[in-house]
Amino acid sequence: MYEYIIKRTLQMIVVFFIFLVSSYLLFNAIPGNAFSNLLLNPDLPPDAYEKVLATYGLDKPLMERVQLYIVNFFKGDFGYSYKYFPKTPIELIAERLPRTLMLFAVVNICAFYTGFLVGKILAWRRGSKAETWITVTSVFSYTVFYPWFALMMLWVFGYKLGWFPIGKFLYPEKWYEAPWDSDVIFVLMIKFTVIVSILQFISYVLTRGIESLSLRRNIRFGSLMAIFIGSYIFWNTGDALVKKPFAADIAYHMILPVIVVTIVAFAGTALLTRTTMMEVLKEDYILTARAKGISQKRIRDRHAARTALLPVVTSFIFTIVTIIDGSVLTETIFSWPGMGQLILQSVLEEDLPVAMATFSFLGVFALIAHLIADISYSYLDPRIRIKSQG
Amino acid sequence: MSKDKKEIQIEKQIRRDAIRKNWKLFSQSKLGMIGLYIVLFFLFLSLLQPFLFITGIWNPAIYDPVVGYDEIRDTLLVVECPKEYPTEKYESYADCPGPGEVNIKKLYMAPNLEVGDYYETFIQPAPPSSTHLLGTDSLGRDVFSQIMEGSQVAFVLGLLSATLGVGISTVLGTIAAFFGGRIDAYLMRQSDLILMLPSLPLLFIISAFAELKVWHLAVVLGVLGGLGGSVITIKSQALQVKVKPFVDSARITGGSNWQILFSHVLPNVAPIALLFMVFSVTGAIASESVLSFLGLLNIDMSWGIMIYLSQTDGFIFSGLRFWWLILPAGLAVTLLAGGFYLVGRGLDEVFNPRLRKR
Repeated sequence: MYEYIIKRTLQMIVVFFIFLVSSYLLFNAIPGNAFSNLLLNPDLPPDAYEKVLATYGLDKPLMERVQLYIVNFFKGDFGYSYKYFPKTPIELIAERLPRTLMLFAVVNICAFYTGFLVGKILAWRRGSKAETWITVTSVFSYTVFYPWFALMMLWVFGYKLGWFPIGKFLYPEKWYEAPWDSDVIFVLMIKFTVIVSILQFISYVLTRGIESLSLRRNIRFGSLMAIFIGSYIFWNTGDALVKKPFAADIAYHMILPVIVVTIVAFAGTALLTRTTMMEVLKEDYILTARAKGISQKRIRDRHAARTALLPVVTSFIFTIVTIIDGSVLTETIFSWPGMGQLILQSVLEEDLPVAMATFSFLGVFALIAHLIADISYSYLDPRIRIKSQG
Repeated sequence: MSKDKKEIQIEKQIRRDAIRKNWKLFSQSKLGMIGLYIVLFFLFLSLLQPFLFITGIWNPAIYDPVVGYDEIRDTLLVVECPKEYPTEKYESYADCPGPGEVNIKKLYMAPNLEVGDYYETFIQPAPPSSTHLLGTDSLGRDVFSQIMEGSQVAFVLGLLSATLGVGISTVLGTIAAFFGGRIDAYLMRQSDLILMLPSLPLLFIISAFAELKVWHLAVVLGVLGGLGGSVITIKSQALQVKVKPFVDSARITGGSNWQILFSHVLPNVAPIALLFMVFSVTGAIASESVLSFLGLLNIDMSWGIMIYLSQTDGFIFSGLRFWWLILPAGLAVTLLAGGFYLVGRGLDEVFNPRLRKR
């Protein structure tokens, strides 16, 4: 087991270095950058030309530049953004990351729960009319052309009905007298969301062993209520009370993007859960459980769904990377100034340092997600565990 | 080894029976058949357009999806909008230049017109009519013809990239499973790397330094898809085939490595490869539309570009008044991607016996 984890980590480190080098070469291959306008200027004196090249290290041979890039990557030094000059790419990422993280933490949680529940029902109600309709709906939302769908939703709910704001993540007029910038509020909200979901998960794990269905339900309901009351108290005392109106403003702007992305993202999980669960339902031990006279609900939730959860969780960790990809679109459409918009803008405006920093950052993020997926898979799947021991 | 006629005939018979049986299984899944009909419908549309141009039913000067132009004249009654509402004729401000009418204040270009006159003009996003089944866009081009052109682009791109991708991943996956060792380790690290790359930003970067046309995009998507995660899945399938007794018996009878690979392992991996192919068409169509939607591709016309134009021209927030500019393109992308997905699901039920009802 540990051997496997260590081996995998070492492999990932190798892959990571290849990633760094290849991403540098990729950016190096882009013809034209912010310098070219300057350097191609015929009035530029030759010594100034040399000086510009030397300042940015562009006169060095390629291999040396690659080495320099790797060293600077670990120092966290990406130079300066061309567009927002005094700021470094790291500062820009630090400013925008909380906004993306907040939005997509909530979206991920919503999408995963909805997807898993819907998939469970789909597999269980096999062949009924409800199954066909739910399948058609989820196939539609799985394959719908996302920007188009988001724009239509924005038109209906933002413009026609006017229930939600059309873009941006806050009303600037409410923030004139705010003593903090929005990132402080975002960090607070992220902390709150993470703690609440961890508490909910712990209560779920602790109550898993309780045999009687009604008792388990009551305890789960109670813990949910406790979390609600706790968060109510949290938002009405001390520091958080002052920040509450601002947090509420951001939350109000988040509602529409969360709903839209959840509608699009839940279907993948739902369809995968359906497939794996249907495979599980053909196993012999489900037949045994039926023969023992265990209630249908129990077979569904404890025998089938739990086994089917394994590939779903793993693929979900993989989809986190795809959701970050999708964040480019979401943030462009809802004008949510986060990481996705940053990477799109920097590529379009040839702001190379920022583009390189965001690209490598997403790569590191994806790498860690994969490592977690692999390790959790090896931990959850007994076949890998036993194989690596023996 | 020569086969006599009878043997060949028997082989043909077996193959025909297998196809018939699989078709029967496929046609049992209703959603799969619906998907197949959708795909066939769009295939028909994409073949219909060149046919209409060649036979001369459509004049290319009018119906060409990119450079065509049709001047549709319309006569409007000149009226003057009142300053206060409601009046007898108009309920509110939004009703004032009603259908077939034009406000005189908008006509400062033609000063000799007066209220009650008729004003002749071209209407550019023209509503659907018998000559233009889905109307025209803001440049006077036929939307239906654009939809047909878009479906040609989608089919070329989807099928090309899916074939390329699945070809690469099938060969690499079986080689990794069959030879193992260093080749396997290398290929797995490579697909780790590809999986790790954030795909949409990567496509942005590639389209930033290369003027991507449909062909280039198909190759890029195919190579990225072919080296990525599908290699791992196909390898695991090939590993299951490798330990089957018939591979051993082929080896005992003196088959070389490559012979076993191509005549025994590859055919058994083919079903799952076909499945991958169908699903990756969905992804390719979606990627193309997204890139065109963001204006990053160098393509004349596609469904993504239609949506891009309707958004940049500001029609998407004008509601359903200009529905022929908004709905057809978006629905076409959704339907074709969904059609391929449904076909893939139907095939999945054919190849994976555990998903079947019985």
